[in-house]
Amino acid sequence: MIPLRNRIFGPAALSFPTWAYVIFFFVIPVAMVFFFSFGYKPDIYTAVATDELSFDRFPEALNPAFVSTFFATLRISLLGTFICLLIALPFAYWIAVKISPARRSLALALVMVPFWTNFLVRTLGWQIILSPTGFFSEGLMALGLTQERIDILYTHTAVQIGVVYNYLPLMILPLFVAIDRSGTKLREASYDLGANKVKTFFKVTLPMAMPGVISGCLLVFIPLNGDYITATVLGGASGSMIGQLIAEQFNSAQNWALGSAMAVVLIASTVVVVGLGFALLKIGQLIAAKANSIPISNGRA
Amino acid sequence: MAHTIRKPLTDRLLSAWGILVFIYLFLPIAVIVAYSFNNGKVLANFSEFGFNAYANGLDNDVIVATVFTSLQAAVGSAIVATIFGTIGGVALARAKRGVWWAVGLTVVLGATLFTPEIVDGIAFLPWFVTLGVDWGLTPFNDGLVRLIVSHAMFSMAVVTFIIRARMAGMNQQLEEAAADLGANAWQRFRDITLPIAAPGIFAGALMSFTLSLDNTILSSFVQLPGSTPWPVYIFAAVKVALRPEIAAISTLMFLLTLIALGVCALALRKTGGSSTEIIKTMAG
Amino acid sequence: MSERSPISVLAPHSKVERITRRAALAGFGVLGLGALTACGRNTSMAASPATDGELESKLNLYTWGDYDSPDLLEKFRDDFDVLLQVDSYGSNEELIAKLSSSRGTSGYDVVVPTGSQIDRFASHDLLQPLDLSLIPNFSHMDPNFIDQEFDPGNEYTICKAWGTTGFAYRTDVISRTMTSWQDFIDAAQGEASGRTSLLSDPWEVTAITLATLGHSLNTTDEKELAEAKKIILDEIAPNVRAYFGSASTGMIQGSFDLMQSYNGDARQGFNEVDNPEDWEYVFPTPSANLWMDCWAIATGAPHPDAAHEFINFMISPENTMTQIEYIGYPIGVKGTEEKAKEAELDYLNLIFPDQEVLDRLEASIFNEGMAARVDILTEAKRRSGAA
Repeated sequence: MIPLRNRIFGPAALSFPTWAYVIFFFVIPVAMVFFFSFGYKPDIYTAVATDELSFDRFPEALNPAFVSTFFATLRISLLGTFICLLIALPFAYWIAVKISPARRSLALALVMVPFWTNFLVRTLGWQIILSPTGFFSEGLMALGLTQERIDILYTHTAVQIGVVYNYLPLMILPLFVAIDRSGTKLREASYDLGANKVKTFFKVTLPMAMPGVISGCLLVFIPLNGDYITATVLGGASGSMIGQLIAEQFNSAQNWALGSAMAVVLIASTVVVVGLGFALLKIGQLIAAKANSIPISNGRA
Repeated sequence: MAHTIRKPLTDRLLSAWGILVFIYLFLPIAVIVAYSFNNGKVLANFSEFGFNAYANGLDNDVIVATVFTSLQAAVGSAIVATIFGTIGGVALARAKRGVWWAVGLTVVLGATLFTPEIVDGIAFLPWFVTLGVDWGLTPFNDGLVRLIVSHAMFSMAVVTFIIRARMAGMNQQLEEAAADLGANAWQRFRDITLPIAAPGIFAGALMSFTLSLDNTILSSFVQLPGSTPWPVYIFAAVKVALRPEIAAISTLMFLLTLIALGVCALALRKTGGSSTEIIKTMAG
Repeated sequence: MSERSPISVLAPHSKVERITRRAALAGFGVLGLGALTACGRNTSMAASPATDGELESKLNLYTWGDYDSPDLLEKFRDDFDVLLQVDSYGSNEELIAKLSSSRGTSGYDVVVPTGSQIDRFASHDLLQPLDLSLIPNFSHMDPNFIDQEFDPGNEYTICKAWGTTGFAYRTDVISRTMTSWQDFIDAAQGEASGRTSLLSDPWEVTAITLATLGHSLNTTDEKELAEAKKIILDEIAPNVRAYFGSASTGMIQGSFDLMQSYNGDARQGFNEVDNPEDWEYVFPTPSANLWMDCWAIATGAPHPDAAHEFINFMISPENTMTQIEYIGYPIGVKGTEEKAKEAELDYLNLIFPDQEVLDRLEASIFNEGMAARVDILTEAKRRSGAA
């Protein structure tokens, strides 16, 4: 018989408040979204009705405008995640390995600084930078770097720049932690065994940083896929994202059934892409492990 | 050897890259700060240098009210998320491997991180209406309550996972020893668990404060008239010509946050924590 | 006034995006979409207390974002010692949702619906009749802007601001003289291809081609709408870069050479750009929208005396210039054009078009053709995105 005291303060009981909160304020409302997606919009005065359930909203949601925007969004988010990784990997390596420990906390704090200014305000900063008559464009011309004004505002290029910017710190931080954790000893051992820097990076540092790469990619890809603010501020007709269409159904069209169906498609696609990513990673690791005959599991040697 | 004094090429390239990335990270912020000194009528068109935007912004009751709403929501949700997240994190850290409730909680909390923010937003909106209007739970008709509850949900997973990571290495024997010495559960929690968890709690609170202050998508769905937070105000103004007041107030908020962070860092240094440690805790 | 007739609880029209100028300006209607409810029909509205000549100490204004001079609002606060609270919305849909779902308990006193929508508000009992005897300044209203078709005798509303739609273009890019919507279409396909913007508003976009085809801008005829759709999709949409509300921002940033825009926004752009001589604004032939936003008092308004006083204050002749200078649109009060000229405001011809222009404008109406227009805009956006 466990004493009452221990049961109240036991871990299972201790988890109860958090459980209650997530069920009440996450599970139930999200379940409602799934439920609404089977409903319909009965008349112009009502946002959703669920007295007759059907799958009809899904074909309706997958109209040509939605599908083309959907793939455009996927391209922006996959490419964005990839670019973030390319930028962040050497950068995180630099902070974790090359910067003296004394300055490291300052450098990390600086990486966090963009977070302390509003997401939207930062994006508005890009709107100013990218405008053809802005100082940046004029500066480039004055330096002779371009002949014409840069003209990418309200295109998907602008959106791409904006999203990479907005989510980059989310990639840098986990990468830093992973590289930092891998420690200098292993790298030194690798040098001692005669491996050069490049080889050491790819054979030792990168595999060790793999957990950071994974969590960084997740942290960037998931919010990016559902983002619509960057696209609203920087994108024109060619830079629109799926989140905008969903928001429109809820805010303007007041068709919650259709909007919910679109949201379900978005969640499903996010899960599928992440699942595919993990599958590819596993396959890659298996192949790499075979090739190198170094046992690797979960990215840790 | 002479040439070892010079740093190798790869190092210099890395340093150059690092500095470029920092420039990239700070460019738009610098632009906003610079344009906050624009005396013109429209943000994007810098006409003359001056402080009009600051005066007008601080004088504008609507703007001040939205900033105040944002700060209230951020503090409130940081408190709620930290309390629930700390309890949850401690529970998870103490759970036996593979217990159903711990695995389940991890999965559900993971799912909150996985769900696109816009889905959270559209999920909360009808739910709050149901709670507040149909069930008569009037607090949910209050815009600030809605903001706090939804923002806290958003950052709870982050806090929980930070605390769990922090507590994972905690020596259970310490508590048992304390129990043997006659400490009751509350004393053990206060004197042993809490001090160990403190840096994690601090990091979690900071993180949820920031997430809340920055949140636009979720807020735009759940907010009510009278409790418009600052980011939503800006978002509504995006398609109207933006006035420089927005840059000015953002700059002020930025400075305030930096000062607050500096104070926190100092306080932390006194208690022996390091900011690198905090950031490491935050990130993973 | 205790019990009002039963009404249907409204939620906004299916698939109707946004149909007002301000809605387009505000981007998505993100503000204040709170208490929309999906349930409950045929319920009655809570009634407002009767006016008793005594000013209440509070007033709640619910209006479009950034649509009143902060100086004037503050002056009202000080002069009448009324605690004035302002909230904003981004589309008529939001306003309808808010007023109807709360069934007269929204707490809002003064609201600002768009003229074309008044019928939807009034027929569902969302507005209460004005007591014009409490608004003596009504006598200063320009006869052109009272007694409108949507509200004969100003039973529910008084004009708050009005404007029209046209386009602005770069004269150094498009050198010929432009006068009509056909010129707009030609330029979009020619000199300004890829640097053209349209309003993100189904009615306005469709109106471009309906006008050139010679149809009524408010047509509900399926054949006419199909004709208009074909031209928009094939000739205009592939050349459009963005669907964009704020002409002034677009003009300053330099991303566009041809912009469909509201006249007041374009005027703000002229005032702000470094090269106004390179821009021209056109009130295009044969026709365009004439829109009007209106002051009204919500059913169940808790502070009716203050509400009437507020409207009276906002249309009083001595306050007109402050308001016009801030919002950049005329407000329908007599003699403002002369005053604006005396004050030497720039580019006044943009917000006070000639009588000849006014005569050919057509006020937008919310009708059953709206769903088709929303489809046209959605499809056009897709074509533009693929181009």
